[in-house]
Amino acid sequence: MSHTSIIGVYEDEDVLLKAIDKLQESGIKIADVFSPIPLHGVFEKLKLTTRLPYATFIYGVFGTVLVFGFLYWTSVVSYPLKFGGKPLNTLSFIIITFVLTIFVGTFLTFLTYFIREKMYPGKEVNIPVPRTTNDQFAIVIIRDQDMKDEDVKKIGDLLEKTGAVEVKESEY
Amino acid sequence: MYNTKVRGILIHGNKSFSDVSRDIIRPMDDKTPMWWWVTAFLATGLLFWGVWGFYNTISNGIGEWGLNNNVAWGWAIINFVWWIGIGHAGTAFSIFLLILRQKWRTSINRAAEAMTIFAVMSAGLFPLIHMGRIWDGFFIFPYWNTRGPLWDNFISPLFWDVVAISTYFMASFVFWYMGMIPDFATIRERTTSKMKAKVYGILSFGWIGNARGWLRFETAALLLGGMAAPLVVSVHSIVSMDFAVSVVPGWHTTIFPPYFVVGAIFSGFGMVLTLMIVLRKLYKFKDYVTDGHLDAIARILVFISLIMGTAYMTELFMAWYSGNEYELFTFMKNRVTGEYKYAFWTMITCNAIIPQLFWFKKIRKNITMVFIISLFINLGMWFERYVIVVTSLSKDFLPATWATYQPTFTEIAIFAGTIGLFILGVLTFFRFVPTLAISEIKGVLKETTTLKSFTDESH
Repeated sequence: MSHTSIIGVYEDEDVLLKAIDKLQESGIKIADVFSPIPLHGVFEKLKLTTRLPYATFIYGVFGTVLVFGFLYWTSVVSYPLKFGGKPLNTLSFIIITFVLTIFVGTFLTFLTYFIREKMYPGKEVNIPVPRTTNDQFAIVIIRDQDMKDEDVKKIGDLLEKTGAVEVKESEY
Repeated sequence: MYNTKVRGILIHGNKSFSDVSRDIIRPMDDKTPMWWWVTAFLATGLLFWGVWGFYNTISNGIGEWGLNNNVAWGWAIINFVWWIGIGHAGTAFSIFLLILRQKWRTSINRAAEAMTIFAVMSAGLFPLIHMGRIWDGFFIFPYWNTRGPLWDNFISPLFWDVVAISTYFMASFVFWYMGMIPDFATIRERTTSKMKAKVYGILSFGWIGNARGWLRFETAALLLGGMAAPLVVSVHSIVSMDFAVSVVPGWHTTIFPPYFVVGAIFSGFGMVLTLMIVLRKLYKFKDYVTDGHLDAIARILVFISLIMGTAYMTELFMAWYSGNEYELFTFMKNRVTGEYKYAFWTMITCNAIIPQLFWFKKIRKNITMVFIISLFINLGMWFERYVIVVTSLSKDFLPATWATYQPTFTEIAIFAGTIGLFILGVLTFFRFVPTLAISEIKGVLKETTTLKSFTDESH
């Protein structure tokens, strides 16, 4: 969904981090931050978390069960055939189970990332400040319907005071 | 927490973020240079020669190779292991150094990963063509069939190899591609060409670089890296088991898995060094791939070279200490003093002795010398696989079946073809993909500039 947003453009990551603090102190809700590099300070300040590691763990368990189940079924149930005098269900299955667990985990984690991010080849992009993929940083504050023009101006002033090189309103 | 800065400045020249983007994308915007066309032409020639080798093998059979009943594995397996070894550098660089939080990796990981992809592709061709009846290649996959169903032998290292290498290829590719997404977005937004904006727009998957996107991106990269790290160890361990689970003297040793893994990282780092020296020279990336970076790789190599030397000595010692006359014969008579002594001593010289020159700072600072030594490492690691495969097979338990082995023109053609494929892959990478990880370099930039002002103040 597209909103009208107030956008502050910054040129330095440290200035940006301080600006986020100032804005949050004044009770302004920051919708998003755009940057050319990952900023751990931003993740902490915006209280962002991700459950991706849990998903990966589940995929790993699923992979282990799936692969070992398949090996057991083929070698013990479906067509029991002795190789080299080893038991049908052998410890050597560990190797394939281990490697294919990584296969399943990697592949599904990769897919989950794109599904959660709603990213796909050729997706249309809407970046408020295109230079944030190169050398600028941007703070996005959504303009609520009940926000008056004075409030918007106040936010704009605050953005400028905290070191924004440019403040603008745009659809994002 | 202690936060000691031991590494010094990673990126020279006081670059800003936009300088970094400009410098790294510049070679992609420039006109295709002459050296690129010349190399591509030569590599295509090699590739066609290899295609002929493939054609000849498929149409006339493995009899076109110099193999015989005793030496049933020749150049194909030597080259397979050699390429796989080279293919270990990318992940070793990206992932081990990521986990060890070595920030200097940022200038090198992209190229090392690209090298991994093309090396593993080259490697994969050898087992495929070695099947002889390549059209039956799908038998290797466990699929529901009308023979019982008769499944694969899941406890055969040859099957483990298929699993390990396809997993390794997939994981390396995914990790590599993932890292490039923000850089493709940078190109998409910077470029003035409509065509490029379109192509890199598709490749960037609609990356916008917002906070949540970065958080998930970083987490995913770390997870993928963490999962691929055990692969670096397991892939070459499994390759070594192709040899070690047999009863052939010289192969049947417990040292093989660690020895192969270390050897793989050694040859991989050797090839990275070769490639990075060429890359920084051609693209004038001296501010990014600094002398300090090359110095760090050289230091790692001298350490790994010592491990290699220790492994060679251990093999010789165990051959004697085990009291097994076949082992003793293979190592002492066949390798050290026998018919294959030139190969053996080339291996020792290139892998265990020449890299010791890296102890001297003067040599580490002399880039020409570093380049030459890196080539010797590549050569030495090829001879290591030659020694392992050929000397053990040519003279085993029954003297009546002893045989010698010479590669034929067809085998040489296939090897040349994979070199052509590798070079073409690397050239494509040089031309169409940011060769250094732009966003990762930006991530370490601030730290190094802060460090710079810190040192300035202390003066």
